[in-house]
Amino acid sequence: MSVTLLARGLTKTYQDGERRVPVLKGVDLTVEPGQLVAVVGPSGSGKSTLLHLLGALDRPDAGTVEIDGRPLAGLSGGQLASFRNRTIGFVFQFHQLLPDFTALENVMLPGRIAGLPPRAVLDRAQGLLAEVGLDERLDHFPGELSGGERQRVALCRALALSPPLLLADEPTGNLDPVSGDQVFALLLEMQARHHTTAVLVTHNPSIAERCGLVQRLEGGVLHREAPHDRAAGTLEG
Amino acid sequence: MKPAVVRSSRPSDPSPSKLLLRDLPLPVTLALRYVRSTRRDAFATFLSVVAVVGIALGVTALVLSLAVISGFQEALRGELLGRTPQVLVDLPPGLGLAAAQAAREAVRRVPGVTGAQLQVRGSGWVVEQGKAHAVELVGFEGRVPRSFPGAAGRPEGLYVPASLVARWGLVPGRPLSLLSPRPTLTPLGPQPRLRTLPLASTYSSGRTQEDRERVALPRAVAETLLGGSERQIEVSAADLDAALAVAARLRDRPTGGDGDRSSGAAANGGLAGTAASGGVAPLPPGSEVRTWKELNRPLLFALRLEKVMMFVAVSLIVLVASLALVADLALIISSKRPEIGMLATMGATPAALRQAFVLLGGLVAGSGIALGTVIGVGGALVLDRYRLVPVPGRVYFLDYVPFLVKPLDLALVLVLTLALALASALYAAQRAATLDPIEALRR
Repeated sequence: MSVTLLARGLTKTYQDGERRVPVLKGVDLTVEPGQLVAVVGPSGSGKSTLLHLLGALDRPDAGTVEIDGRPLAGLSGGQLASFRNRTIGFVFQFHQLLPDFTALENVMLPGRIAGLPPRAVLDRAQGLLAEVGLDERLDHFPGELSGGERQRVALCRALALSPPLLLADEPTGNLDPVSGDQVFALLLEMQARHHTTAVLVTHNPSIAERCGLVQRLEGGVLHREAPHDRAAGTLEG
Repeated sequence: MKPAVVRSSRPSDPSPSKLLLRDLPLPVTLALRYVRSTRRDAFATFLSVVAVVGIALGVTALVLSLAVISGFQEALRGELLGRTPQVLVDLPPGLGLAAAQAAREAVRRVPGVTGAQLQVRGSGWVVEQGKAHAVELVGFEGRVPRSFPGAAGRPEGLYVPASLVARWGLVPGRPLSLLSPRPTLTPLGPQPRLRTLPLASTYSSGRTQEDRERVALPRAVAETLLGGSERQIEVSAADLDAALAVAARLRDRPTGGDGDRSSGAAANGGLAGTAASGGVAPLPPGSEVRTWKELNRPLLFALRLEKVMMFVAVSLIVLVASLALVADLALIISSKRPEIGMLATMGATPAALRQAFVLLGGLVAGSGIALGTVIGVGGALVLDRYRLVPVPGRVYFLDYVPFLVKPLDLALVLVLTLALALASALYAAQRAATLDPIEALRR
């Protein structure tokens, strides 16, 4: 199952002491079901802020976000938490695995939070980790895994409840090129296999090129990136 | 897909204990894992140990201090209540002897009463070889009443406190004079009333100082000295609790008319009840029923107040330990910010996060409470059993410090400590529950 992600007129301004810093100035974005969209832009352009708004982690000053026709604006804090749990999978630059939980337990966490039957959650987590080649690492703690393995566990965790929407913030930004490529290839494979709608924030032009659609965030608004621009290597912020 | 990095693998089947942990509610799992993880952080471990030891010390101090007060209270109560009538019925002033005896017979028929003695009380002096000692004269009939320990049940006669005998070097059988402040009018003017009796024996004066030492003497002699104006009935029951029940029954008894009173001067409306008569003989109007509790009310109040104040003062130790628990949890929460942020991102509710850290605080506090209870209760039992804390017996009424752990006191200590610890944990846990996930995830 996948969903349509629709953002209209998103604005967000931060207060820096006396100074108001507008980050997003009316962002419009449409992501079709099953589509993978890359958002690129220079550092500080507001890519992560946009991802937080799309992921119901923050509320915009103005504008709307709709996921599969459901506006997020009217949801309470508790409803948003439940919505995130069931609908959105997150992958961050740093794996953000819980160091006191094994790889398997980390992948089980979304199901545990959702209150699903432990046996079903366990089976699903084991299956996902096997898909990414970590079936021999189930009982390893994050500290015992390599960077690439950790990020693969984080990807499994994001997909644990088969969320229709995957949001990834520089998922390979903390990895060496080889591991980064492997993790991204895996992300593409999993996204396609599970037919998940996905938005990926990245600095890496080679990664952005492999996405179906590239949007550049600059000056607080999104511009669709033409294919020849990508070929010219103008993605790097 | 081949893994990017291949390491030596371990068996992938989770152990039964891990599976069990995975089946627990998420807040419980988080709390148990965080207990384990704090062991790897030296400073967090130090703060946890401080919190556990602090709470344990607080509980130990509370248990021991309440135990020592309870021990002294029980010893003091036994010492004093042995010389206090279980129930005393003050008959109205001016009541005639026949009416007083009828009232005594009525009291004897009340269920639960094991003995009722008519008495006359008043102030006087013991005089011997130019020395005079102010005493309370208690005229009794029949056997010596139970409020004179050491002499209770003996035949009529003159009984003085053992301490007075020791001070004055008195010998049983030797005549002793009793002087009354009530004068007798003679042609030569008012003359003091003086009666001389052979000393029958002594009663145990105990190791606490009485307000005024008492002297037991036959009622007939006391009536001639005191005039029979303050007549009382000392009532005995099987034990102190039974005495309270007897007193309640006496108060519920109807009051009678005043036709049997010689003077009829006393007003009605004493503590004796006014319920309708059920065929039982009434107490004379104006009679007042007092129990051992009411007779010792100031002392019992002082003992209770002392215990309450001690409890409040020592509770401050637990309060300080609870603050250490707040610091401990605050440090753990601070070090777990990204994890808490990730949990919130994945949809963990503030309530679940709050529960996890309250449970964590509860586990730390529970360890301290368990340790403190074992040390406190065990210490109290050993100190009391082997009398390890001696005190000068000549100065105090005991020669060792007694310890008595009462279940209610222990329950109060545990409830208070747990409540303080959980309140502290809740305060700290609230920080985790209200963390902004975006801020928490930021590195």
